Amino acid sequence: MTVDDDWGTNIPLDDIAGKVAIVGVGESEHSRASGRTPTAIAAAAVEAALVDAGLAPEDVDGVMLGPGVPDQLDAAAFHAHFGTRHELWESQAGGGMRWAATAPVPAAEALARGEASVIVNSFAVAWATQRGSMTGGPGQTHAEERFKGNLEVPFGWFPQPVYFATIARRHMHQYGTTEAQLGAIAVACREHANATPAAVMHGRPLSLDDYLASPYLAEPFRKEDCCLISDGGAAYVMTTPERARDLDRPSVEVAGVGLGRSHAGTHWAQQGDFTSTPQVFAGPAAFAMAGIEPGDVDVATAYDPFTIVSLMQIEDLGFCPKGEGGPFAEAGELRVHGGSLPYNPHGGMLSHAYVLGIAHVVEVVRQLRGEAANQVAGAEIGVYGGYTGPEAATLVLRRSDS
Amino acid sequence: MTPPQFPLPDTEWAPAAPFWAAAAAGRLSLPRCDACGRLVWYPADACRRCGGAEQTWVDLSGRGTLFSWVVVHQQFLPQYEPPYVTALIAINEDPAVRLATRLVDVDPTEPGLVIDEPVVVEFGRLRFPGVDGEVPAPFWRPIRSS
Repeated sequence: MTVDDDWGTNIPLDDIAGKVAIVGVGESEHSRASGRTPTAIAAAAVEAALVDAGLAPEDVDGVMLGPGVPDQLDAAAFHAHFGTRHELWESQAGGGMRWAATAPVPAAEALARGEASVIVNSFAVAWATQRGSMTGGPGQTHAEERFKGNLEVPFGWFPQPVYFATIARRHMHQYGTTEAQLGAIAVACREHANATPAAVMHGRPLSLDDYLASPYLAEPFRKEDCCLISDGGAAYVMTTPERARDLDRPSVEVAGVGLGRSHAGTHWAQQGDFTSTPQVFAGPAAFAMAGIEPGDVDVATAYDPFTIVSLMQIEDLGFCPKGEGGPFAEAGELRVHGGSLPYNPHGGMLSHAYVLGIAHVVEVVRQLRGEAANQVAGAEIGVYGGYTGPEAATLVLRRSDS
Repeated sequence: MTPPQFPLPDTEWAPAAPFWAAAAAGRLSLPRCDACGRLVWYPADACRRCGGAEQTWVDLSGRGTLFSWVVVHQQFLPQYEPPYVTALIAINEDPAVRLATRLVDVDPTEPGLVIDEPVVVEFGRLRFPGVDGEVPAPFWRPIRSS
């Protein structure tokens, strides 16, 4: 088999270690179809984040939102919601997915230039609501892409669960990964959601036997290998470390950020290394910026649309050798209680909520402040792995007093 | 000509039109970089490997290997009829190039497939329930001794 080892690349970022502090986090309610709009959901999350930071809407002078995502909380929507009219710096290099990891980079630049002093990044989706009317949702943009529409969709190689089940099958062949090992990831995340009252799947346990008895959706995937589709949003507030010290809240600093890109973009069929993610290019850069090794990480989170995407990122970020993610999960290493790498302690997108990763950043901040519902004892360094497919990004956060 | 109904491919879409025209004539054809000889797929103006700008569509042997596959049980689109087996095929002439396809002569309830096993192209027609028209297309089947 031919693998082109130049299938992707690291995208160099400014060194922002110690230049940005996260001083407030918030979430909306996470739910099944709710009838809410993304803008209203994002505003609720921002409100909660400002209360958490002890800041007023007037203190915010910068907003970040996702690139090209409809109905997010831009400057106009911020003013409409909070009844404010002051000047607001705005950037669309924020939101969820990999941007939930890299938003601190443009934020650091704006803080350094004095363009803003308090910046809130938010993201929200109402895909559970929209699914009822068959608009929006993760499949639609892919169906409309010309290459996929011409060369993949006609053959039934569509949508996302099919792409990633194909990747999972190849990973199984290459490394001996088993369905029960994928199941161990789903079960660990469900246990974590069961310990998190705000999680959509709170109160709905899942055993490995339940997982294995569940019918296939796109074999080798079962429903439990796939993330939720829910309505919800989250937000976090960034400022300078100096300003953070004036706020009477435990703060968390951005220690490192990395960004990687696959040359195949969303055309997974053509991705050179089919069973890896661009975290192989992002992780080392983020850890170098932070001056740490993967083994220093106390709590990890990653964008988890499917169990296999968790497994690959755990490998690609260096938390275990490549190909050993399956046995690592099966041995219970991802569990908050007893595991060596507590992973997605809130339940992730598989069992907490489908907020495309920004709730993962919120979770890491709460873990490092010692305030999480499913707390990892003594966590000082935490990681978020952001992912879009074409790109992946790594965010390293550290307790400011550690 | 009106564009075909979703999820049929638009065979007039310029970047891939020769692929569909070849399929209609029972040939498997992809563009090859004149400079380095690698296949350029998905379609792109420049070769991803060497940057070469000149390409020539060439006929291929129609032989490949089963790179990976999925048995789809969920009805993701009203036009799809599960269960079916969808797969990626690595092309013998350049195994880094993979074609999405549906496998023929494979029972979705007992696929009996092995990764990397040899497969051969078999031309058929894409048809969907409730969708007007059909498009000749390359499908693939395992090469089995029995």
